[in-house]
Amino acid sequence: MRGIRRFFSRLRNTFAEPRKEERMREEMEEHLALETAELVRSGLPEAEARRQARLKFGGMETIEEDYRAERRILFLETLWQDLRYGFRMLRKSPGFTAVAVFTLALGVGANTAIFSVVYAELLKPLPFVSPERLYTVFQQEEKDATQQTGISFPNLEDLNAQSRLFEGMTGTTHHQLTLTGRGQPQVIETSIVTSEFFTVFKEKPLAGREFLPEDFKPGGAATVLLSENLWRGKFGGDPGIIGSSITLDKTPYTVIGVLPASFRFPAFDESEQVWIPLVHDPFFGPWIGRRVGHWLQITGRLKPGVTPAQASAELDGIGQRLVREYPAENSGWLVRMMPLRQLYVADVKPALLVLMGAVCVVLLIACANLANLLLARGTTRAREFAVRSTLGAGRGRLIRQLMAEAAVLGLLGGTAGVLLAIRGVRVLSPLVSTDLPAFSAIRIDYFVLCFALVVSAIAVCGFALAPAFLVAKVDLQKSLREGDARGGETAGGRRIRSVLAAAELALAIVLLVTAGLMLRSFANLTSVSPGFDVQHVLKANIALPRAEYSTPQQWLGFANELLSRVQAEPGLREAALAVPTPLADGCVNLGFDIVDRPPLSAAESRTADYVSVSQNYFHILNIPLLAGRTFDERDGMSSPRVAVISLALARKYFPNEDPIGKQMVFGFPPDGEAAREIVGIVGDVRDVDLGTDPGPMMYVPYSQAPFAGSDIIVKSPLDAGTVAASVRRVTASIDKDLPVGDISTLTDAVNASVAEPKFRTSLLVLFAAMAVVLAATGIFGVISYSVSCRTKEIGIRVALGASRGSIVQMVSREVLLLTLGGIAAGVPCALAASRLLGHMLFGVSAADPLTLAGVALALVAVAVVAGCVPARRAMSVDPMVALRHE
Amino acid sequence: MLLLVTKMGDSKRQKTDVRQGTLALMVLKTLEVLGPLHGYGIARRIEQISGDVLAVNQGTLYPVLLKLEQEGAVASDWGVSDNNRRARFYRLTKSGRGLLHDETADWQQTAEIIGRFFSMKSEDFS
Repeated sequence: MRGIRRFFSRLRNTFAEPRKEERMREEMEEHLALETAELVRSGLPEAEARRQARLKFGGMETIEEDYRAERRILFLETLWQDLRYGFRMLRKSPGFTAVAVFTLALGVGANTAIFSVVYAELLKPLPFVSPERLYTVFQQEEKDATQQTGISFPNLEDLNAQSRLFEGMTGTTHHQLTLTGRGQPQVIETSIVTSEFFTVFKEKPLAGREFLPEDFKPGGAATVLLSENLWRGKFGGDPGIIGSSITLDKTPYTVIGVLPASFRFPAFDESEQVWIPLVHDPFFGPWIGRRVGHWLQITGRLKPGVTPAQASAELDGIGQRLVREYPAENSGWLVRMMPLRQLYVADVKPALLVLMGAVCVVLLIACANLANLLLARGTTRAREFAVRSTLGAGRGRLIRQLMAEAAVLGLLGGTAGVLLAIRGVRVLSPLVSTDLPAFSAIRIDYFVLCFALVVSAIAVCGFALAPAFLVAKVDLQKSLREGDARGGETAGGRRIRSVLAAAELALAIVLLVTAGLMLRSFANLTSVSPGFDVQHVLKANIALPRAEYSTPQQWLGFANELLSRVQAEPGLREAALAVPTPLADGCVNLGFDIVDRPPLSAAESRTADYVSVSQNYFHILNIPLLAGRTFDERDGMSSPRVAVISLALARKYFPNEDPIGKQMVFGFPPDGEAAREIVGIVGDVRDVDLGTDPGPMMYVPYSQAPFAGSDIIVKSPLDAGTVAASVRRVTASIDKDLPVGDISTLTDAVNASVAEPKFRTSLLVLFAAMAVVLAATGIFGVISYSVSCRTKEIGIRVALGASRGSIVQMVSREVLLLTLGGIAAGVPCALAASRLLGHMLFGVSAADPLTLAGVALALVAVAVVAGCVPARRAMSVDPMVALRHE
Repeated sequence: MLLLVTKMGDSKRQKTDVRQGTLALMVLKTLEVLGPLHGYGIARRIEQISGDVLAVNQGTLYPVLLKLEQEGAVASDWGVSDNNRRARFYRLTKSGRGLLHDETADWQQTAEIIGRFFSMKSEDFS
């Protein structure tokens, strides 16, 4: 207790004003006066008395020192001194400071910005209660581990009944329903959940109640939970909404509660959504009895204390039982699990890690650069340190002073870096949120700030420690004796600086090669043709509420009416229907059989992407007809079922025969078992994304396979806004309650499909550019410093008759040696690093010779330019001036 | 040369540290018995009683006083001395009284043990 009190007094005094020291002096003088008076009284003469008093008092200086040591914490005091001194030194050389702070800011800023993304996506706990116990449970093909799918409802019920280690597993899926009767009709993201939903997520409603078992009973009243944002936005936050009814797809649902805005599952990106029990879902409700299919996404919560390995083993067992009991639906499928987060970030994780690696490399280069700068400065300041050392500064004190200077640099650079990162994140986050799951906003919070602080501190240690030790080892005698301010340059220092510069180059090569490969991949990716026209094509989606439009005839009637009215609009003649639109909507993958061929087992089904299109679809999107015919008036609702297949399907499943005239069995109920005659073959289309090779596709006429809604695709020279407005007006003219959603141009869809590669490529290129600039500065620094150190030597050489050319040659040799060393070290590292890129590369090999050669050449060029200026300076050394210098 | 100075400084500091503990106790006791006093007064009393501890280096008293003050064992105020000069007067605080009490007990115990050892004769163990 007393110790603590003393510590705080001292701490306070350390930063208090120095005039308080007056007190001690005053007290001492008082003491001496009293003593003197006493001695005078005892008979001594005044002068002698004063002398005696002083003697008795003891060494003034020592006591004052003790007093001061007692009063303050000396270490802090000197540290403060060092920091102030460091600051002064930095202010005295603004050029150096600017370069150092800028370098550091780049390194720290890039790291902080990328880390904020990595933190938000990969590290920050998911916004659920005890998220570490949440796992995604899925079925996986025995033969192909990449085929991971959902689970059907009867299988989910068996899982729940047989599992002892899970608190529960819930199935979810989501789609859109139309909310009507409250102002403008609105398409609402609707999550479909099963009965264990709240057992798993343990989320408490903001108002009202959660789902209870009776909400999941077939035949019961349909109930719905609202998200907080929907409740506040659409319903004005009215608590009276609970218990009242809302209309979704023309069906009444009773609102039973509101879930807080922070809870978003399974749709992470939607702030306005509703949750309904599976039994009351117009789309998937009827599927409850179907064991076929993999349509529910399953999330399970482990009981406390259960390890993932135990749970996996249990799921394995249940999976095997499912295969035994229901071989038709489950043979060939395993039941597996993975942490919930992995489901969402598996795609972006490698890219984020590569980016994090890249910024680390940038930081390393920045540190090497700074170390070089400090070394050079340290050598220049060798005399200063020698003087300090002679005056009594210990080695520790010298190192501490250098470290304090570095710390000031670190502080300035770190602060600038954080400012840079804040700016960077503002630029990054819209880019990120378009393609990464937005669990949580990407921003610079305390955790990220701590990271920046730690990074800056590590950087400071990294770039300052070595030079500090090197400087502190300086030979006193030699440094003092040599008149030249740069006499302290030692062979060791020079070697270290050259090695550092070469290392910078090597690191820059790693980044450049990576960025180069990504750039080539991206170029390859964007030059890929999707197989159809995307220019001037706009798509919009119109979903039909099933309560009102319940029969396929109604769907077809609406679609035909819509299409003909749109085509009648000026400039919109080229319109077609499609479900789904390639690239914009993704794909619907469906199994099929071929008539007269033996059916395959559940494990090795034939599948192809299914699209339902109107007659003119192929013409409008310019998908070439390769054989047979496309759809026409003959293919009505009551005519024989027909299909058009893609070249890939023909090649894969009809390798040595003419598919035209053959029959395939596939489709959706009620036409699921219909045999369809193949009437034509069309060109391949990339429907998932540009990077995925076109797979087998099968097309059916919309007139034979209508949906409750459709995309309308319009090719028009008019601008997108006008087209969208016309589509909206036409739709409202048919049914004013129908919202038009998902309006986008196909060009946008293509861009969105390459948004993530574009994001990572542009960032990598940016970081590589930083690396090159830093490395070039590094080379420039080393060479120009070396030239200035050798001014005298060069002067002598010139005086002795060396030609300008030979001087330039001498400097160039140094530059080339450095560069070649860097390249020699960098290329193997780059090859190793590029192997980590794996599937992020597209159409280019990890050891692409063109990229490697290009990068090496580019770096030699950069090195030559960086070496040019010092070489010119060396050339222009005047021997007279150089020698007189001595 | 430089090295030598540092070493001397170190050994001297150690010696003061040993003395500081004793000195602090003397200061506390003096203040307890005599009430508030200025630095010189304390030095005089200690000198009178202990003789040589403060015969030289009276000044070492001041860092000790400061330490006690920072620990909260004594408090100080400016006042006026006998000869009408401004002087700083130290007085014992409540916590200082407690400290003195504890330290005295400690000290006496230590002294007792040491005393017993010093009076030890070989017969005691036969």
